[in-house]
Amino acid sequence: EDTVDDDSYEYGKGDFMEHACRYCGVSNPACVVRCNVPSCRKWFCNSRGNTSGSHIVNHLVRAKHKEVCLHKDSPLGETILECYNCGCRNVFLLGFISAKTESVVVLLCREPCLSVNALKDMNWDLSQWCPLIDDRCFLQWLVKVPSEQEQLRARQISAQQINKIEELWKTNPDASLEDLEKPGVDDEPQPVALKYEDAYQYQNVFAPLIKLEADYDKMMKESQSKDNVTIRWDIGLNKKRIAYFIFPKEDNELRLVPGDELRLRYSGDAAHPAWQSVGHVIKLTAQEEVALELRASQGVPVDVNHGLSVDFVWKSTSFDRMQGAMKTFAVDETSVSGYIYHHLLGHEVELQMVRNTLPRRFGAPGLPELNASQVFAVKSVLQKPISLIQGPPGTGKTVTSAAIVYHMAKQGQGQVLVCAPSNVAVDQLAEKISATGLKVVRLCAKSREAVSSPVEHLTLHYQVRHLDTSEKSELHKLQQLKDEQGELSSSDEKKYKALKRATEREISQSADVICCTCVGAGDPRLANFRFRQVLIDESTQATEPECLIPLVLGAKQVVLVGDHCQLGPVIMCKKAARAGLAQSLFERLVLLGVKPIRLQVQYRMHPSLSEFPSNSFYEGTLQNGVTINERQSTGIDFPWPVPNRPMFFYVQMGQEEISASGTSYLNRTEAANVEKIVTTFLRSGVVPSQIGVITPYEGQRAYIVNYMARNGALRQQLYKEIEVASVDSFQGREKDYIILSCVRSNEHQGIGFLNDPRRLNVALTRARYGIVILGNPKVLSKQPLWNSLLTHYKEHECLVEGPLNNLKQSMVQFQKPKKIYN
Amino acid sequence: EVHVRQKVTEVDPLEEANFEEELKAVLQESLEQRRLELRGRPTINMMIPMSVFEGSTKDHHGRGLGGESGDEAVDEEGGARKEVQVKVLVKRGNKQQTKQMYIPRDSSLVQSTKQKEAAELEE
Ligand SMILES: [Zn+2]
Ligand SMILES: [Zn+2]
Ligand SMILES: [Zn+2]
Repeated sequence: EDTVDDDSYEYGKGDFMEHACRYCGVSNPACVVRCNVPSCRKWFCNSRGNTSGSHIVNHLVRAKHKEVCLHKDSPLGETILECYNCGCRNVFLLGFISAKTESVVVLLCREPCLSVNALKDMNWDLSQWCPLIDDRCFLQWLVKVPSEQEQLRARQISAQQINKIEELWKTNPDASLEDLEKPGVDDEPQPVALKYEDAYQYQNVFAPLIKLEADYDKMMKESQSKDNVTIRWDIGLNKKRIAYFIFPKEDNELRLVPGDELRLRYSGDAAHPAWQSVGHVIKLTAQEEVALELRASQGVPVDVNHGLSVDFVWKSTSFDRMQGAMKTFAVDETSVSGYIYHHLLGHEVELQMVRNTLPRRFGAPGLPELNASQVFAVKSVLQKPISLIQGPPGTGKTVTSAAIVYHMAKQGQGQVLVCAPSNVAVDQLAEKISATGLKVVRLCAKSREAVSSPVEHLTLHYQVRHLDTSEKSELHKLQQLKDEQGELSSSDEKKYKALKRATEREISQSADVICCTCVGAGDPRLANFRFRQVLIDESTQATEPECLIPLVLGAKQVVLVGDHCQLGPVIMCKKAARAGLAQSLFERLVLLGVKPIRLQVQYRMHPSLSEFPSNSFYEGTLQNGVTINERQSTGIDFPWPVPNRPMFFYVQMGQEEISASGTSYLNRTEAANVEKIVTTFLRSGVVPSQIGVITPYEGQRAYIVNYMARNGALRQQLYKEIEVASVDSFQGREKDYIILSCVRSNEHQGIGFLNDPRRLNVALTRARYGIVILGNPKVLSKQPLWNSLLTHYKEHECLVEGPLNNLKQSMVQFQKPKKIYN
Repeated sequence: EVHVRQKVTEVDPLEEANFEEELKAVLQESLEQRRLELRGRPTINMMIPMSVFEGSTKDHHGRGLGGESGDEAVDEEGGARKEVQVKVLVKRGNKQQTKQMYIPRDSSLVQSTKQKEAAELEE
């Protein structure tokens, strides 16, 4: 199987590990010695760190070990230190003496050899015996002290930690420092910090959080088995078997995405033996039908359509790669530059400028002209080793990023790595970068190769298939054979794989830019690549360890693009979220004082729609790059209460209900009114693809879809084509018209999801031409931000009630907002 | 390359004192153990092998470490280096071996020889 090489790859396990100081991780051979006690054999360095003795001396004293051996790559080679005369190996007794007349030195023990009279008559000077351990440190010319840089990048171990780990080693010689800090099963994990002493401490904090999230994800996905699934069989263009079926999704929990792996099972009957096969999701239709491409085409019970079972096959790959990246960050000095290392950990570093000749123009071929704030962003980013770009909704983040990547690639510092947490964002960016004329390779996970992509021609797997399609090409011949037969003989398969790998390498190496998801940057196919310049888009939607994956491939210049005023990464495990895993690296850097460069001109929203978000989330700095005229809905007859202000808050008093699943909410009155608004839009000439219905609750989402399909006044098909989705899944996208159903309407409970200002920001900034909000002002006005939104709508005479064809200003009273306590 | 504004790491004086104690104890214990172990005096086998001389051609005139004899490494700017070259004599099994090492000029190993040299010159 193709995925096997994915799994067998071990991250962060280089051979630089073995002789690293067990206290601090320094691994320079000239600086370390091995404890020679057979039961120990651990390596330690000759730096003091924060303690009074050097690490090796600390170990020898605490463990009462007394023999050491030098590293094979040290100046003396692999040598056990011993008395030249008697062979005594106790380092506490050894010292050097020199010959009286020659530049020759030897090790001699203090007792008894130094006091032997016979030696005095020979050519040795015994008066200046120079002990091996001096000032609680090995002689520095014999075992070097690591440089200041090396020490700064090492683990900052304290004397207390040394005592603890030495104690632990007495019962468990293989214990690591991480074992000291492992929380118990029921303990709350250690929360994230702003600054970290070193990358080991960083790893100690994040590794348990990633583990928690991974365990939760596994538990949840593996519990999603479905029985009695009905299947429709098909065959793909590549001759592979495809199964179509409905996989109903539970409230807000599991979201299937293309590339996910599922197992299809049939328990067998009189005519069919039991059967099972795994496959990858290659498509999800609007009707929630899943297309699963099976890995093996043999023995598929194609005449059976009912009674099959589907299980989720959980993969640890993405979590493994995050853990691997953190390990590499700690142990591999070349993983990122010193400046970036210290900066990411929150150490105070003197500002460094990147010395590059700046281009004369900051735009790039094939891209729209840049505005002033975009030019400023490109210009400052090119001069700094770390920069943050904040792109509020519709401000041209992608174009700005593409221009930055264009200029970076032209600086000739090697290939540029471009990542984002989501595949959609990577595709968009890859397309824009490719438009500048740069050679782009879009690396997809192997499990997603069958998933259609808008930038297929840029993908590595497509380029491999189309590099050389002549008759002479061995790879092409084998590929054709594989496509025709479905599989190859084992010797042909071997040949095919080797040729494919070589071609992949060739194509990737000749690219100017590699684009992939953050997790994709940990793909074994990039293992030997180094990227000095890395740009991560949507970085505010990635967890820190996820962001680290593309960075540890040698980053010297890092650009993080995102918007910390929009939604952050989705963390399923509450414990991990509480501990701070949901805070992105971008946000932490902002807290550390890195000032994001903000793009200031928005090209999406009608100026009336951008006013509130600009004032509430961006200190009023958002300017409009579109005019009212450019966002006029000409020919659309829709009852906006104030002409030229395509927005209103539609007062709803219907009660909320708990959805059938018991874990979500719905609101029937709002759903019925959503249908009426949609129908009015459709009647006035708006097409379904222009409309988006968003709601924070999965219960309401499902209810609206059903309600419109059953009760829609117009053709059913029209309603089916309308996208109804969560706020979260609309992030990064836009529609001409947005209808927002708030759902929550109760006397005493809170407003749940709606409390998050970032979610409100996202919800309010998706529409280009117009927005309708449905909600209960009495409930929502308790929250300060919603209160000011309602006030804004009221002041502009856009807070209305009554039937759609006769909207009247509402006189509903708001409640006093609760004070915010921070 | 990178300039990290470093917090001054201060070693806890109590920790320092404790550690010094323990180190002394190990040293003392080692000495006593040796005295108990070894009753008779060991035989002496400390001749400097001839091969050591072969490497240095200039240094035949009874000068010690770091004399003006050319064993000194000179750095690129032409000034005297802070280090002098020595040969470390080690045993591998029964075989003797020498390895080149640089030791700081201000090491007591070098200093003693220098002072002696100076003293001898004065006499
Ligand atoms: Zn030991
Ligand atoms: Zn160390
Ligand atoms: Zn001895």
